[in-house]
Amino acid sequence: MSTFLRVVGAALIGAILALALRQQGKELSLLLTVTVCCMVLAAAVTYLETVMDFARQLQSVGNLNGELMNTMLRAVGIGLIAEIAGLICTDSGSGALGKAIEILAAAAILWLGIPLMRALLELVEQVMGEV
Amino acid sequence: MDIDLIFKIAAIGIIVSILNQVLSRSGREEQATMTTLAGLVVVLMMVAQKISELFDLVKTLFHF
Repeated sequence: MSTFLRVVGAALIGAILALALRQQGKELSLLLTVTVCCMVLAAAVTYLETVMDFARQLQSVGNLNGELMNTMLRAVGIGLIAEIAGLICTDSGSGALGKAIEILAAAAILWLGIPLMRALLELVEQVMGEV
Repeated sequence: MDIDLIFKIAAIGIIVSILNQVLSRSGREEQATMTTLAGLVVVLMMVAQKISELFDLVKTLFHF
C-alpha cells in the first residue's frame, strides 16, 4: 500500500514538473512524462507479478494448456506496452503515430492468435468429420 | 522506484532553459541550440535506460 501511495505521489510531482517544463522546452517535458510513465508502469507490473503467480497456480490446478495461457499473457503484454506508447505519441502531438502503434498492436495480437484459431478450426473439422 | 530521477530530469530541464536564455541573450544562438540539444540527449539516455528496464520487466512477466 505504501508503494502505491509513493507511486501516486511521484506521478503527481512529475505532472506538475512537466507542466513547469512545458513553458521552456516541450521535448524535456515529454521525456519527463515518459520517465514517470515507465516508473508507474514498472510499479504496476510488480503488482501484477503476484497476480500472475496466482494465475499460474490456477492453471496448474485446472490443468489448463500452458501454451494457450502464454499466448493470452503475451497479448496482455503487447496491449499494455502499445497502449502506453501510443498515448505518449499522441501526447507529444503526433496522433497519427499513436494510431499506427495501436493498429500495429492489434495486428500483432491477431498474428499471435492465429495458432489458436487454427487449432479451433481443426477441432471443428474433426468434430464435423465424426458426425 | 526512485523519485530522484524525476527531480533530476526536471533540474536538467530548468538548467538547460536558463543556459539557453543566457546564451541567446548574449547573442550566441548556436551555442544555445547546442546546449538544448546536449541536455535533450543526456535526458534521452536516462529515459531510454528506464524504457528498456520496463520492457525487460514486461518481457519476463508475460513470457515473451
